[in-house]
Amino acid sequence: MGNRADDTATGAPVVQVEDVAITHDGETVAAPAGASFTVHRGEVVLLLGPSGSGKSTLALSLNGLIPHAIPARITGDVRIGGMDATTTPVSTLSTTVGMVFQDPDAQLVTGTLIDEVAFGPENLRLPVDVVLARAEDALRRVGLWERRTENPDRLSGGGRQRLAIACALAMGSPVLVLDEPTANLDPAGIEEVYATLAELAAAGDRAIVLIEHNLDQAVALTDRVVALDARGRTVADGTTDEVLRGRADELHALGVWLPVSSLAALALRDAGWRIDPLPLTPAELRAAVEAGDAPAPRQARGPEAARGPEGARGPEGAEGATPRQARGPEAEGAISVRGLSVSRGRNRILHDIDLEVRAGEFVAIVGANGAGKTTLLQAIAGVIPLPRGHVSVAGVDPARTDLRTLSRRIGFVFQNPEHQFIAHTVFDELAHGLRLQRLPEEQVRERAVEVLTRFGLEDRADVHPFLLSGGQKRRLSVGTALVAGAPILALDEPTFGQDRARADELLRLLQELNDAGTTIIVVTHDMQLVTDYADRTIVIDGGRIAADTATGDVFADAALLQRAGLRLPPLRQALQGSRHPELAHVTRLADLPAPVIAQAPAPSPAPSPAPSRDARPARPAEATP
Amino acid sequence: MTALTADPYADVAVRGRFLLGLNPLAKLAAPVPAMIVLIFVRDLATPLALIALAYVVLLAGARLTPRLLLLLLVALPAAVAVLGFGMAVWTDASRVDQSVTVLTLGPWTLYGGAVVVGLATALRLAAIIALALIAGLTTTGPDLVRATVQQLRVPYRVGYTALAAFRFVPRFGHELDVIRQAHRVRGAHGGRGPFAAAARWWGYIVPLLAGAIRHAERVALAMDARAFGAHPDRTERHLVPWRTRDTVFTALFAATSLGILWLLFPWSV
Repeated sequence: MGNRADDTATGAPVVQVEDVAITHDGETVAAPAGASFTVHRGEVVLLLGPSGSGKSTLALSLNGLIPHAIPARITGDVRIGGMDATTTPVSTLSTTVGMVFQDPDAQLVTGTLIDEVAFGPENLRLPVDVVLARAEDALRRVGLWERRTENPDRLSGGGRQRLAIACALAMGSPVLVLDEPTANLDPAGIEEVYATLAELAAAGDRAIVLIEHNLDQAVALTDRVVALDARGRTVADGTTDEVLRGRADELHALGVWLPVSSLAALALRDAGWRIDPLPLTPAELRAAVEAGDAPAPRQARGPEAARGPEGARGPEGAEGATPRQARGPEAEGAISVRGLSVSRGRNRILHDIDLEVRAGEFVAIVGANGAGKTTLLQAIAGVIPLPRGHVSVAGVDPARTDLRTLSRRIGFVFQNPEHQFIAHTVFDELAHGLRLQRLPEEQVRERAVEVLTRFGLEDRADVHPFLLSGGQKRRLSVGTALVAGAPILALDEPTFGQDRARADELLRLLQELNDAGTTIIVVTHDMQLVTDYADRTIVIDGGRIAADTATGDVFADAALLQRAGLRLPPLRQALQGSRHPELAHVTRLADLPAPVIAQAPAPSPAPSPAPSRDARPARPAEATP
Repeated sequence: MTALTADPYADVAVRGRFLLGLNPLAKLAAPVPAMIVLIFVRDLATPLALIALAYVVLLAGARLTPRLLLLLLVALPAAVAVLGFGMAVWTDASRVDQSVTVLTLGPWTLYGGAVVVGLATALRLAAIIALALIAGLTTTGPDLVRATVQQLRVPYRVGYTALAAFRFVPRFGHELDVIRQAHRVRGAHGGRGPFAAAARWWGYIVPLLAGAIRHAERVALAMDARAFGAHPDRTERHLVPWRTRDTVFTALFAATSLGILWLLFPWSV
């Protein structure tokens, strides 16, 4: 894997970053605080680092957007093709560094694919025939030439991101910087983008700097890995083998994300498996596991099975196989849908849906874009108008229930928390839901403070909701949905466009709520979320239920997944049908065999902020009677 | 967003329809003198003649789609009828010619003079609309921007940024829908009446603006990263030149409208 770099990495580096520290205006702490690395033509470099280490900031400094467009103070040296990036204008640097950003919609300027790709070269005042030649070449490389006269709006998310890559290619720049290019895409879109990137990497004519949380796919095309620590100082820089295979434990301890396959292998090593070298991709993990033998069964289960934040469910492996459905006497129907059809205009979006959710379940609704997932969730929560008599939520029909009553039954969390905020302070945001219940002011205050404390927002009570940090906004939106006492929480794409750390923070919160008895029903594209957290998965395909069963069974049906535009999460890809019975059905890290107790002095002081199940805060159910 | 009915950016290049080949500025400028005159005339014949002129130009020079025909042959005449009758009823009866009585309902009489005034007003408005349709139905937004940049020397940074901003519109429409949904779910500002409605809309503005600013910043970064604004000018792949035919069209159109005025001279009475 690392060989290609050695062949092509000749001559002066195209990117040379030395001891760079960047402080945004208005901040006091620099992030990154001391990043150094070089990139040569033809290399694919993966930039890793914990959340907050300044990876995106560093990316923006490579083509001069920092400090030219976003004011910030830079110390150290950023040299791009020999030019000083802090003093050279962005327009000059743009011919050396092409950028692809996270949100494909925010990169579109014109009305057709060909105009879009030509936009950059036109700005460079290239002659028309050169512009057209470059546009054609770039569009052909990403496989969109045939669609050149179409409006970019007609492309899928993955298609639009490939278009963004074509636009960067058309600038003729030898370096391509991609900042979380797949964070806003569904599984099929992610696959498209990686297929395109793999072709670019294979061609070897550009250097690619990649910031990505989807490591299992990224690692397959990476030559070199640069890792930053939490403050944004380079701690590792070398070939993928040296850094990821050789220093995985150390990086993991720093809070750097590793491929799920590597995390699984580390967990298996702790459990006594001999896996060497460390696998990085699902295919490698599979090969390593199939070649090796299971350790002698020593059934001593240690307290810490989870390797990382993904293992947030903690030592639950034994329980994982059986969905936790029966939850004591009150395990009755929380949501019941019978023969529900929903149309918008002349289009019928949902056809004759039947489903049942029991109290205390954690249910995921998945499916391709446009399959009708969100519509189903919105119909259940009474967000959109729906025909009467088809849905029952905690005993009431949302179609004929007033908002006050409904908000005591089910809370709905929109994709963007800001959309839901209606008050001027965090306190009023929570108090609003209680006042709607016509509670006396005394009780409103008491309950609101309770919820503030529960969600870690007590010292932010007087702040405007829009001034909260991203994670706080998300917690507040969950708090407002539950403050009236709803036992059911519905969430639409709660992790869309977020980095892994923030997504995990939210998921831990949901897990705690679920453990305390709240029924959770979530629409998502995030297959790792589904396998890690959901007891049951409902697959929607073309407005109908294609499957409704235990999560493990859904991911065992490859044909179903392909048909519904879904993909296997990495661990499932690696272990499905393994010859080791104890691994064959593992879908999440927490289900892996636990470490043997003999290794009590854990090799890596797991920094995982994941609370173990036992250590979670006192009953979160205060908000949910 | 994926289900656009009409693509605002699609190329409209059809051979043989001369309006599509003209410079957008010619199509905008040519009818302007006639439009200004229409503000001041009071008779029936002048607006009728100018409507006829606009119709001839449109039917001969624009692409004949069912939508165009429906607009010209049904919608506009219907609008004139409704508006004309409304204006006729509304007109102060004491100030019009009362020699002809059209309709008597109890104490109220509709005089011929009021009908004439009402129709004349409606026809003037219709004529202005018909003239504006010459450019409106045959020009795309991008072409208009290119023409303003290429002929009127509007800085391209302004023109193309405006073009990029066109893309925001459907996005914001969608975002506004979601915000309204979210606020309704939260039970924000319930109640009827203009004050409650105003409070509701005020509540939508903050999240919409926050989203809009963030989106605009990202688009701006993406444009900067592609060298937008690097040079005083940029390559134009689509030239929208001002050709002889544009001058001829503008001159002919202005001459014809002046000729109509000369013949009908609406201020002689």
